[in-house]
Amino acid sequence: MMATEDLTQAVELTEPLCHLSELVDGRSRGFDPLGEGRDTMFVVRQGERLYGYRNHCPHYDQARMNWKKDEFLNGARDRIMCFAHGALFDIASGECEIGPCLGQRLTSVKLTVRDGQVWISGPYVPGRPRRSS
Amino acid sequence: MRIIGPDELVFGVDDVAACREFLVDYGLMEKAFSDEGGRFEALDGSAFTIRKRDDASLPAPLPTANMLRQTIWGVEDQATLDAIEAELSKDRAVEKLADGTLTTRDDANFEIAFRITRRVALDLPAELINSPGAKPGRAPNVIGANDEVEARPRTLSHVVYFVPDMDKMANFYVERLGFVVTDKFTNTGPFLRPQANNDHHVLFMIQTPEYMQGLEHVAFHMQGPTELMLAGSRMVQKGYQSFWGPGRHKFGSNWFWYFNSPLGTHIEYDADMDLHDGDWVERETPMTKDAAQMFLFENVEKWVPGGPPPKK
Repeated sequence: MMATEDLTQAVELTEPLCHLSELVDGRSRGFDPLGEGRDTMFVVRQGERLYGYRNHCPHYDQARMNWKKDEFLNGARDRIMCFAHGALFDIASGECEIGPCLGQRLTSVKLTVRDGQVWISGPYVPGRPRRSS
Repeated sequence: MRIIGPDELVFGVDDVAACREFLVDYGLMEKAFSDEGGRFEALDGSAFTIRKRDDASLPAPLPTANMLRQTIWGVEDQATLDAIEAELSKDRAVEKLADGTLTTRDDANFEIAFRITRRVALDLPAELINSPGAKPGRAPNVIGANDEVEARPRTLSHVVYFVPDMDKMANFYVERLGFVVTDKFTNTGPFLRPQANNDHHVLFMIQTPEYMQGLEHVAFHMQGPTELMLAGSRMVQKGYQSFWGPGRHKFGSNWFWYFNSPLGTHIEYDADMDLHDGDWVERETPMTKDAAQMFLFENVEKWVPGGPPPKK
């Protein structure tokens, strides 16, 4: 199962995340596209392939995954890891292979590269939904 | 059974260098380190030992994502060790190491050990506050806000496990080792304290499916709320990922601030936990947001009111 996002709060972004050259091959990097004060998504680069996911472990609602800024990968850097409880995820599919969210998967963020810039494709939902007034 | 609390946790990790970076920044003191692992102590000598995950000297891992390999409980004296050995040898293998440490497994299959505590008795000041109507905690001219001070964890406070069967797990610690239930979250798990420690809990558990079994979090006691806030905000400034907090729990009353860690578990700063004795009557409530915390905050960047002078 995958967490469903409340698209009624989604925002169309007018800025790219970064330039492709700023993403280090084999490493992860966190982003805060809406300026919410924390990285609500991250990107893993493997060669020319980019994998974008929300920084939300499926185990707990809104659980942050990294242990430090930009650190979303295990020691061997061959899996995404949630440093809340050690869950490991396949980088390409986002599927949890071991850990508290076994059988669940990360929420994907589709990315496109245009003129060397990395963009989020489509609307983006805030990391913490707005409270209804 | 004069058990005090967790003396040391032993981890098999997949990134030794990352764990070292985290634990030193968290405030533990590095006592030994090599590419193979290290030992990091709180002020009283309670400690984390980290080794590479494939280190043959480590106890066997659980078949889960958990990196904790052993919980070593500190006890008051040899008589307690002897009593534990006699009790647990009734139905399981208990190995006695050369230094007298006993190793075995609990009823959830966690690797546990018992030894005469290596904690040193601390003689340190509490957080001192001035409060109207009460005798001043700080004398005149003694400043409370000093951001030059170190913020060092004083002692290992508690461990929290994900367990497949909370009743089986709790019964082992209560019936075999003399732990006492102080409070309980219905259908989640009980808070336990051992006989030689008045802290509200040194052990808590959360019932989960088997594939989740492992360490949910571990906490160290800080001097008080201010030191907890200072330590946590320094961690955020260094780029570490806050998971929950700062806030104050209801059961135990401890202030809390949890961080993700490369040890594959949350590591919590806590402060000002309730103490209990035999007169205490256990409470029970469902684990809800309101039951889990009295209040919750989130660190934001420092800010100051100001701006240009008003226009005339």
